[in-house]
Amino acid sequence: MIDVGESTLLLAGAVGTVLVSVLLLGRAMIGPTMQDRVIALNVIGSNAVIVIALLAAAFAEPAFLDIALVYALLNFLMSVAISKFTVERGGVL
Amino acid sequence: MITPIEAGLLVFIVATAVMTALLRDVLAAIIVFGGYSLGMAILWIVLQAPDVGLTEAAVGAGVMTVLFLATIARTTRLTGLEATTVDVNLPAAALCVVFVLAVLTTVPALPAVGAGPGENPAFGEISEYYVEEAYDDTHVENVVTAVLVAYRGFDTFGEATVVFAAGVGVLAVLRRGVFE
Repeated sequence: MIDVGESTLLLAGAVGTVLVSVLLLGRAMIGPTMQDRVIALNVIGSNAVIVIALLAAAFAEPAFLDIALVYALLNFLMSVAISKFTVERGGVL
Repeated sequence: MITPIEAGLLVFIVATAVMTALLRDVLAAIIVFGGYSLGMAILWIVLQAPDVGLTEAAVGAGVMTVLFLATIARTTRLTGLEATTVDVNLPAAALCVVFVLAVLTTVPALPAVGAGPGENPAFGEISEYYVEEAYDDTHVENVVTAVLVAYRGFDTFGEATVVFAAGVGVLAVLRRGVFE
């Protein structure tokens, strides 16, 4: 069982990663190109996977890791779909 | 009351929601909306609802992004815009702020979740019956799943029919090809 200090540390790491995601929104806002925004969203998605993994450890709930796996796959799907759309107009998947 | 991670996620979600409304380029709005879904799903997990988080991730981030992209591929998208954000209608924005303040003052006045039956009419003996008897009645371990697929089985069946019809409609529209 994880003691209180360790789970607090994991939660603090999750909070820091969320704050980094908030900063990344600035890049998604100003762009200037669509590629910048896609990469910003990709990094936000990777941060989401990290946050969920940290939360799974902090709450001692290994079932949350399944959601992190689904996220990693969806993140890749989203980036590929948007990138493909920007390169060849109308081609989604 | 509100933990730091919830506060950070709420800042992230509100920022993405406002950006989705304000960004002028629809493709940029779709990208930011994907970020909104990701933040929302993490919030569901923080609130100990992993099944809802999983659905939010699959539907909000996955299916909605692809459907939006398919939509703007078949309609028009303005490119080469000079302004990044749309002009804000100030009276409408002020009205929204007033509405948010009204909600923020009324919602905390509601009885807390888990309050006694006398204080909270929505948390009475009916929900206690489900929590206590769901396993004996249906032999499903998760109470939420038991309510969805056993007690409200026909309701869920109707929902599945609606979702199936919507999916068939979307596929029928997408198969017609791009109008030149």
